[in-house]
Amino acid sequence: MKSLILAGPMIASLISFSGAQAAPATGAALFAENCAACHQPKGEGIAGAFPALAKNAFVKGDPKVVAATILNGRGGMPSFRSDLSDAEIAAVLTFVRASWGNRAVPITPVVVASARSAKVAEGPRKIMQAH
Amino acid sequence: MAMMDETSGPAAGVLTRRRFIERLGLVGGTTMILAGMEALGFGIGSAHAAPPVLTGSGNGKSIVVLGAGLAGMTAAYELTKSGYKVTVLEARSFAGGRCQSARAGVTITELGGQAQTCNFDDGLYINHGPWRIPYHHRSTLHYTKTFRVPLELFVNDNDNSYVYFEKGTGPLAGKPIRKGQIAADARGNAAELLAKVVNKGGLDLPMTQEDRDLFVAYLVNEGYLSPKDLAYSGAEGRGYEIHPGAGVDPGPGKLTTPYSMTDVLHSKTWSVLTSVAGYEQQRTMFQPVGGMDRIAKAFEKQVGHLIRYSSVVQKIKQSDAGVEVAYTDSDGKPAVVKGDYCICTIPLSVLKSIDMNVSAPFKEAMNNVAYAPVGKIGLQMKRRFWEEDHAIYGGHVHTDMRDIGSMSLPSTGFQSQKGVILGYYQFGNEAAKISAKTPAERAAHAVAAGQKIFPEYAENFETAFSVAWHRVAYNLGGWAEWKEDGRRDYYPTLCKPDGRIYLAGEHLSYMTGWQAGAIESAWQQIAHLHRRVMA
Repeated sequence: MKSLILAGPMIASLISFSGAQAAPATGAALFAENCAACHQPKGEGIAGAFPALAKNAFVKGDPKVVAATILNGRGGMPSFRSDLSDAEIAAVLTFVRASWGNRAVPITPVVVASARSAKVAEGPRKIMQAH
Repeated sequence: MAMMDETSGPAAGVLTRRRFIERLGLVGGTTMILAGMEALGFGIGSAHAAPPVLTGSGNGKSIVVLGAGLAGMTAAYELTKSGYKVTVLEARSFAGGRCQSARAGVTITELGGQAQTCNFDDGLYINHGPWRIPYHHRSTLHYTKTFRVPLELFVNDNDNSYVYFEKGTGPLAGKPIRKGQIAADARGNAAELLAKVVNKGGLDLPMTQEDRDLFVAYLVNEGYLSPKDLAYSGAEGRGYEIHPGAGVDPGPGKLTTPYSMTDVLHSKTWSVLTSVAGYEQQRTMFQPVGGMDRIAKAFEKQVGHLIRYSSVVQKIKQSDAGVEVAYTDSDGKPAVVKGDYCICTIPLSVLKSIDMNVSAPFKEAMNNVAYAPVGKIGLQMKRRFWEEDHAIYGGHVHTDMRDIGSMSLPSTGFQSQKGVILGYYQFGNEAAKISAKTPAERAAHAVAAGQKIFPEYAENFETAFSVAWHRVAYNLGGWAEWKEDGRRDYYPTLCKPDGRIYLAGEHLSYMTGWQAGAIESAWQQIAHLHRRVMA
C-alpha cells in the first residue's frame, strides 16, 4: 500500500495509455505482473539467480541507464521494449526506485523515450515457435 | 555409364578426385565412397553426423566434466572411450539437464515458486524441455541410433489443426480456422491476382512469351486456378463440408467455400504459414517413444557410473598443474575433485555467478550472454477431443495470444483415452509474466485460452504440470539467446579454452536450445582438447 502512494505522481501520465474501462496500471501492479516472478515480490531477488532490486545501487543510479535496461534487457532479463509503453516503464521504475529502502528520483516517460531512441543491437527474429 | 566412357576416353589416365571416388564406389559401395570423400576432405560425414575420431589414447589424463546434461554426458562418453579418466559433477539428483520428461511423481520447485508434483496418469507425460528432433540433427540421431532409443514421428505441421488470431480484424478474427484452409486461400488468391496481371501483360517482366506462359502455368498449378479464367475458387485439399463417400449420398461430397482474400489478409493468420518451412521447423521430426528423457537415460546407462549426483559446484580453480573444482557433495559437505582439464557445460546464466579464475575477457564474455525466459505447461485431458471431435492428430495450434505462444497436440498415443496437451509455449517477457502466477493460476490461464479454440477444453482438463525455465535452479533460462554483437564480440572468446577450461553446451553453438547444439559443441571441444593432449 505504501508503494501505491509513492507511485502516485506517475498515475497522471498513465491515463492516456489506459484501456477502455480498466484503471491505469500502477507501478506496483506493473512490477507484480512483469518483474516479481524473478526479482521476487519485495524486490529481494534470489542469490546467484536474480539480482535484488532492494537497496540496489544500480537501480538507484542514472535514470537513462536504468531505463535502457528495461528496454533492452540484460543478462537473463528479457527486453520489455515492445510490451511496455514509456509511461509504463517510467511508472514501474519510479516504483522500484522508491520502494524497499530505495530512494531515488522518479523516472519520467521523457527519459524513457530518449533511452528508447538510442540504437540497440538486433536480437533474434521474432518467431512463432523455437526449438 | 559415364564411368566406362571416361576410363576408355582420352582422360582415362588422369585420376581426378571425382573419378577416384566413382571407382571407390564400384569396389566398395557407398561406405567406401563416404570414407573416400572424408579422406579427401569433402566432409560428407561431417562433424555434424558423427563424433570426432580421437586417434591415440588420452593415456589416463583426467577430465572433470561439469554438468550431466547432453553436452556433459556426450563428452564423458566419448572421452572415456579414448582412454581418459572422467569424473562428472551433476548438481541434480538425476542426469539429463534440460532433457527431461514430466510424468507421475516428478517434482519441481522453481526459485521463488511453489512445489509441484506431476499427477499425470500412468503412461502420460509432457516433454517440458526439448521435445522434437528435426531429421537433419544427425548428431542427436547418431546417439538415438547408437543407444537404440526408439523414435516415433513428431507431427510438426498439421493442416487440419487450427490457427487462432484474435488481434486481426474481419470475420476470421477471433475464430479457430483450419491452417490448411488459410494456406490454400492465401496461395490461391495471391496466385490468381498475379496470374491475371501477368496474363494481361500488366507487368513489365524480363521474360520471353514462352517464359510468361510457363509462369502462368506455374501459377495455375501453385494456386489451384482454373486454366480457363485463372480464377481461384477453392481447392479440394482445403477440405469438404460433406466428405466424399459411398453411393450417391454422400457420393462426391461437397467442397468447402474459400475465404476471400480480404478476410484472409485482415485476419493476419497468414503470418503462421512460413513457420514450418524454417530450417529448424521441418515437417519431418522425431521424438523418442515414451518421452525425451529416454535419451538422457540412455546416456546415463553408459556414463552413470562416472557421475557424482547432487554435487553443486562452488569454485573452479585452475593452475599450470591442473584444475581443481570445489563442490558440495550429496550430504552437503565440501569436497574437491582434481583433473588435468575441465569441460564445463554449466549454463552461462549459472556459471557467471560461480567463483572461477578465468581471464577478464572470458569473464566479460560470460556476463554478456542473455538467456531466454521460457514457459511450458502440460495439461492432462480426460478425453482426446481434438482427435475425436476435430480430427486433429498431433501438430500445433498457432495463435497471436503472446502469453500462450503456441499450443501443441500430442504426437503419441493416438486414439487412446487421455492425452497431455502442451497448453502454452511462450518466450521472453511473456514467459516472465506468466511465471509470476502460481501453478494453479498458470493452468487456469492456459485452459481459458484453450477454451477459445476447443469448446471441450475446460470440461476435460484434469491436471497440469508447468515449468518456467528461467526460474529453474541450475538452468536460469531456456537457452542462450545471442544477439548479433554478442556473436561477434563474445562468442569466439567462449569457444576457445581459457587455460585448462573448455566450455561446451547448446550456448556455444548456432543451434542454441537444441540438443544437437549441446552434442556438437561437446564433440568440437573434446576434439580440441584431444589434439592438445596429443601434441
